[in-house]
Amino acid sequence: MNGSLQIMLVDDEPIVGKRLKPALAKYGLEVEVFEDGPGALRRLREKEFDIVVTDVRMEDVDGMQVLEYVLANSKRTKVIIITGYATVEVAREALVKGAFDFIAKPFKPDDLRAVIDRAAKALGHPGIRKSDD
Amino acid sequence: MDYSAPDERPITDAVKTEAQRALKERPSFSIRTRIILGFLMLFLFSLGINITSVIMLTRIQSKLGFLESASSYTFEVQQARRFEKNYFLYRTNLADAREHTYRAREILEGDREEMASVVGVAHFETMARHVDRYEELLSRLEEPNEKRGGDSPPYEEIEEELREHGAEMISVAGQLLAKERESVENMLQASKRILIFIIPVLFIVIVYVANFIARQMLQPLNRLMADTRRIADGDFTPITPRRRYRDEFTELAMALNHMWHQLVHRHDLLVQAHKLKAVGTLTAGVAHELNNPINNIMLTASMLEEDYKSLSDRERLDMVRDLLDQAERSRIIVRSLLDFARESELKTGLLQIRDPIEDVLQLTSNQIKLSKVKVVRQFAANLPPFHGDPHQINQVFLNLVLNAIDAMPHGGTLTVTTRIADERDYIMAEITDTGVGIPEHVLTNIFDPFFTSKPTGKGTGLGLSVSLGIIQKHGGEIRVRSRTGEGTTFTILLPMAKVPA
Repeated sequence: MNGSLQIMLVDDEPIVGKRLKPALAKYGLEVEVFEDGPGALRRLREKEFDIVVTDVRMEDVDGMQVLEYVLANSKRTKVIIITGYATVEVAREALVKGAFDFIAKPFKPDDLRAVIDRAAKALGHPGIRKSDD
Repeated sequence: MDYSAPDERPITDAVKTEAQRALKERPSFSIRTRIILGFLMLFLFSLGINITSVIMLTRIQSKLGFLESASSYTFEVQQARRFEKNYFLYRTNLADAREHTYRAREILEGDREEMASVVGVAHFETMARHVDRYEELLSRLEEPNEKRGGDSPPYEEIEEELREHGAEMISVAGQLLAKERESVENMLQASKRILIFIIPVLFIVIVYVANFIARQMLQPLNRLMADTRRIADGDFTPITPRRRYRDEFTELAMALNHMWHQLVHRHDLLVQAHKLKAVGTLTAGVAHELNNPINNIMLTASMLEEDYKSLSDRERLDMVRDLLDQAERSRIIVRSLLDFARESELKTGLLQIRDPIEDVLQLTSNQIKLSKVKVVRQFAANLPPFHGDPHQINQVFLNLVLNAIDAMPHGGTLTVTTRIADERDYIMAEITDTGVGIPEHVLTNIFDPFFTSKPTGKGTGLGLSVSLGIIQKHGGEIRVRSRTGEGTTFTILLPMAKVPA
């Protein structure tokens, strides 16, 4: 698999996208940021992403619905769920439904990078590392 | 007016102390004493009747004794006179005459006191004098008899006087007999009448005493029953004295007052407990909400550290501003929760109904988001203010909003409306959900303390009861209408503050 990994990041907190987009871009990832579920779903209809990172709790369309849509339409896409409250139930529900993994807020960019790295490897990708090294 | 729970306790304490003092201060006149007095009256009344009867019977007995003596006396006097007549006719039986006179005198002497008491001392003395004289004259008759052929003129005179005294004795005795017979007859008649008369009087007295005792017991019992019903209905004013005396029921009233006071105290504790329960619910949401700014801070700070050298000044400044903004956001979240949880020192003031509603919608924004509930605000412009304690009004709206969210587990619309009520001088706020609704058969119970439709351990069953209490204290009311499966509307009416024009 060549080219950079296509990442979709969905979180209704603008700062999350604002900070994580450059943080992930540094590691050679191509990141599209969405602040609402419906916009993300619209984009998903147009494009297949390698990895979708989505906040679980959003108005209108939440992370679980994004997860369900991805699972139904794109088998190979890995979904990473961001939970605002790391309750066991939400995490278990996401994993049972077929999420690749979950990450609890608050987290550091490196925490997400580690999860994305594992997801990339699961996709047969060599893994991510800082691009300008 | 004072609305806060902590400030209210001393007031209820004072009210209680005052009521207990007033109850206690009355002179004691126990039910036991009253019953004893009632029966004592009855006893004295019966005793009076008995004593009267005994006295009458004793008097009748003595009269009968006198009558017997008087009869014997009359008989003896009559005998004496018969022999006296014989003596004057045939000169015989003088000894017999003397004998009977002697006996008559003995009867008089023997029953002297008894007779004197009946006929009077003066009368008795007269009688005795007649007998004495008669006896004396008889003995004088004997003297010339013994001398044989003495002077006759004294003899004639003696006969004359003898006849006179004899007639007098008979007539007096006869009169007495007749008079005493009549008096005995009268006394017997009177006794009979008293005994017949006493039956209805005794009956009336017994009925009165029974009634009196029953009233003494039933009246306070009924009153206390009414008082307990009143307290159960939520009228938390103590029992105050309504009678002049203190009795066994006073103890009961004081015990009830104590119970009432404990109830008020417990109620305050329950209100506080319910508030803490609401704080618990909110805390979960708030902790969750706090994660967002903290996450933003963590991501921003991490990237600032990571790319510090490569970032432009403008980018760094933007990140630092984000850090400050997110820190401020955390502070507001924490403060809103603490503001609600804090024991409110009392501040009543003029409030705009939409302010507490906005506060609560802000406070519950996480629960609302979490439950995918859409909020529709329909606030009328330029509503007049109302008088109230913002903390307590907040609590009411918080209870209603949290209930509405609970009623819509799969999302829905929460409509908040404020306007002037159809009732004049009232402001109205309506909280409408599109949730599961409340079944009609429990609709009347929902304001009862401890009534809950939520699973065990989830609801305290106090939210609506506490809310109703708060709104009633503010002079308003809460109404509810609901349709199963369609939703519920709670309407809050609050009196407009009278603002001087």
